[in-house]
Amino acid sequence: MVIADRIIRGRIDRSGALVSADAPLARLQQRAGGGLGKPLALPQLARLVALAQRLHRDISRPLYAADDHSDIHAVVRIVPDADGASLEISDWRPRPVVPPQMPVLPEMPAHGWTWECDQQLRMVALRAATGAPPLPADWEGRSLSELFELQPDPDGRFPVLRALARQSRFDRQRVEAGEAGVRVAMLLSGDAMFDAIGNFTGFRGSATPADPGEAGDPAPEAVLVDPAFGSLPLSDPQFGRRIDGALRGPLSRIIATAETISGQFDGPIRADYARYAGDIAHAGRHLLGLVDDLADLQNIERPGFKAAADEIDLGDLARRAVGLLGMKAEEKGIRIDAPRTDDKAPATGEFRRVLQVLLNLLGNAIRYSPDNSQIWIRVDRDGDRAMVTVADQGQGIDADQQAVVFEKFERLGRTDSGGSGLGLYIARRLARAMDGDLTVDSAPGQGARFTMSLPARDVG
Amino acid sequence: MTESVPSTGIDPLSVRLHELAGHFAAPTAGRLTEEQRALSLAIARRLVADVAARIDPAMDTGDLWSAWLNAGIPGGVALAKACFARAEEHRWREQSAQRVAPPPILADGDEAPGESAATLSISATDRAQLALRIADRRRFDAAGHPALAVADVDHDLYRDLLRDIAAWRLDTIGGDPVRAAALGDRVRAATDDHKGESGMADAGAAYAKILGKDMPRAAAEAIARHDWPTLIALAAAAWGRAYADMALALLSAQTAALPSLLAPLRIDRAALAPLEASLAMLPARAVAADGAEVGGEPPSRDGQW
Repeated sequence: MVIADRIIRGRIDRSGALVSADAPLARLQQRAGGGLGKPLALPQLARLVALAQRLHRDISRPLYAADDHSDIHAVVRIVPDADGASLEISDWRPRPVVPPQMPVLPEMPAHGWTWECDQQLRMVALRAATGAPPLPADWEGRSLSELFELQPDPDGRFPVLRALARQSRFDRQRVEAGEAGVRVAMLLSGDAMFDAIGNFTGFRGSATPADPGEAGDPAPEAVLVDPAFGSLPLSDPQFGRRIDGALRGPLSRIIATAETISGQFDGPIRADYARYAGDIAHAGRHLLGLVDDLADLQNIERPGFKAAADEIDLGDLARRAVGLLGMKAEEKGIRIDAPRTDDKAPATGEFRRVLQVLLNLLGNAIRYSPDNSQIWIRVDRDGDRAMVTVADQGQGIDADQQAVVFEKFERLGRTDSGGSGLGLYIARRLARAMDGDLTVDSAPGQGARFTMSLPARDVG
Repeated sequence: MTESVPSTGIDPLSVRLHELAGHFAAPTAGRLTEEQRALSLAIARRLVADVAARIDPAMDTGDLWSAWLNAGIPGGVALAKACFARAEEHRWREQSAQRVAPPPILADGDEAPGESAATLSISATDRAQLALRIADRRRFDAAGHPALAVADVDHDLYRDLLRDIAAWRLDTIGGDPVRAAALGDRVRAATDDHKGESGMADAGAAYAKILGKDMPRAAAEAIARHDWPTLIALAAAAWGRAYADMALALLSAQTAALPSLLAPLRIDRAALAPLEASLAMLPARAVAADGAEVGGEPPSRDGQW
C-alpha cells in the first residue's frame, strides 16, 4: 500500500519511547520488535530523533526502514520540544525504488528526431539530429496525433494509444510527419514517464525515418490483364492498389482522430460525444477490415491465382487459430474445445491461407454464439480428404440461407457492424484454390458446422 | 600522471597557486566536484555555441571554444554563476528522477480511462503550465543534455558574450570592413531581439499570475511530485527574481531557511518535508553560510501577483 498522500504522525517522549503513533508507524515499530510505550525500535529514526533534539531544531530526512515484510521509503520530519519530539512522516512507500524509473534520455537517432509530450500528448520538446527531416513549424504544444499522423498496425491498432491507456512504453508506431509536400514515413517509439508520486507525466522517445518496406508502400508488380474481365477495375491490380491506398490513408486518419477524441486526449468532452467518437473509430476499423477483404477478393479473383502447396497439419493450425482468438472467446465466456496436441490431420495447402480461413470460421462462431456457450473444433480424415470442422451453439442457418451464405456480401439479413459479408466467400474461394472445399451443415436452433476439406497428406 | 603545460595566456603554476591560496583561505569549505565542474563547463560551451549561432550560423564554434579554453573563458562570475545554477539544478533533478514512484499497474485496454481524462480541463492554467514545461525543455540541447536557453540568460551577460564572441570573430575574418560592419549589425540585432524573448521567468510569472489563490496548492503539488522547475519558477515569480537566481538560492539554502525562502508561496510547513529531504540527499551541495540571499519584499498576500 502506498501512503504517499497523507502524513503519518507519531510522538516520542523525553526518554525516547514511542508513546503514540498512527497505525502504519505503530505496525512498523511492532514488526521491528518494539511497541507503544517502548523505545523506538527503528535505529535510523531513533538516531534522527536524537539529532533533532541535540540541535534543538526541526529536521527533515529520508527514512529507510526494513522489516520482514517490506522496505519502507519515506520522508520524516522531526519537531523536537521540551517533552520529546513529534514525528511527521510523508511520502511513505512500501518498497524500494532504487532502479531509475524515469526513462533515460533516448539516444538521438541518426537522421531522426527526439521528442517529448505531456500526459495529454501535447508536444513539449522536439529536436532533430543532423541530416534529419526538417522539424515542422509551430510544433510546441500541438497534439502528438496532430503532428504525427498515426497509421494503424496490421491489426488496425495504434501502439501509442494502447500505450497511453496502459501508461507503458510503445514501439514501432507508424506515422507520417512533416510539412505538406515533404511528408516522411517514420517509426515512433516512446517511454512512459512518471513523477515522484507515480502520476503519469507523458512520453519521451524518438522518431526514426521508416525503411521503405516498413512504410506500407508495396513495390509495384507487373500488371496482369484479365481477358475475361479486361475493362473491369477489379481485375486491374494497379487500380486495386490505388483504391487500397486511397482508402487506407483517410480511414487511418479517421480512426486515429476518433480514437483521440474518444480517449479525450485533447481535453474533456461530453461523455456521449466521446461514445460517438468511439463508434466512429469502431466503424472505421470495420471499414479498414472491408478494405482488407476487398484486397483479398481482388487477389483471389485474379486469373491465375494459385495458393502454395505447403505441408500442413490442420490440427496444428486449428490450435494456432484458437490461440489467436481465445481471448475474444473468453470475453463472452465461450469455451473452445480445440483439438488435442496429438490430434493430427496432415494436409496440403498454403499455411497462411488455411489459417486465414480458420480464423474467419472461428471468428464468426465466436461472434454469433451466445455468451457462455461452447465451440468445438475437430480434425478428421475421410479417404484422401483431411478435414477440420468448426461447430458452434449459435442460432443456426436454415437450408435457404445455407445456399447463399457463401455468396459475396451475403450477411443473412444481419445489419450489425460485425462483418463485411465477404469472409465466407473468400474462405470458400481460398479452400477451392487449394483443391479443397468449404461446406456448412446446420439447422435452425442447432448451431452451425463449417467444414473445410483439403487434400490429405500421407505421412511416412 | 598528466602534466599541465602552458597554453596561450595562462600560466598553470599561477592557476595552481591561486587555487591553493583559495584553499588556504577557507580550508574547511567544500570544493567543486569533478561532476559539478564538468557539467558547468559543458553548459557554458553549449551557451557559447548557441549565442555564436545567433550572429553567424556558419561560425566554427569548435574553434572558438578551443581558443577560449586556451586563453580563458570570458564572462567572469556572471557566466560561472549562471552555469553553476543550471548544473546544480540538473544534478538535483537527476537525483529526484532516481526516486520516482513505481508506475501504477493498469489493466490492459485499448482506450485511456475516460474518467481521469474527463477531470482534466483545458484551461488558461493548463496552458500556462504547458508553456512553463515547454520553456523548461528548451533548456536542453539536441541530445538532451542540460543547457541554458538564451532567453533565460541575463541580458547583460548575453550582451557581453555577444561582444566577446564578435571580437573573436573579427580576429578570424581579418580586417574586412564590410564583414566587420555586417557582424556589428548582427550583434546589435541579436541584442535587441533578446529583450523580447521569454523564458522560464516569464512562463513562471504567467503561471503564477493565473494560479492566483491556487498558488499554495500548485506549489505543494510541485514539491510532492519533485517538479523542481515549477517550484523554482513559482518562487522566482513570487519574489520577482530571475529563475537562475532563485534556483541557486533554493539549492544553496540551509534547511532552516527554506520556510522563509518559500514563504510567499504560502505552502504548509509539512509539505516542505520532501523538498528538505531531497536537498539533504544531494551530494556536494554548496550551502550558503548566511542562508539564501533573496532580496526584496514578497508581493501582497491577496493572491494577486
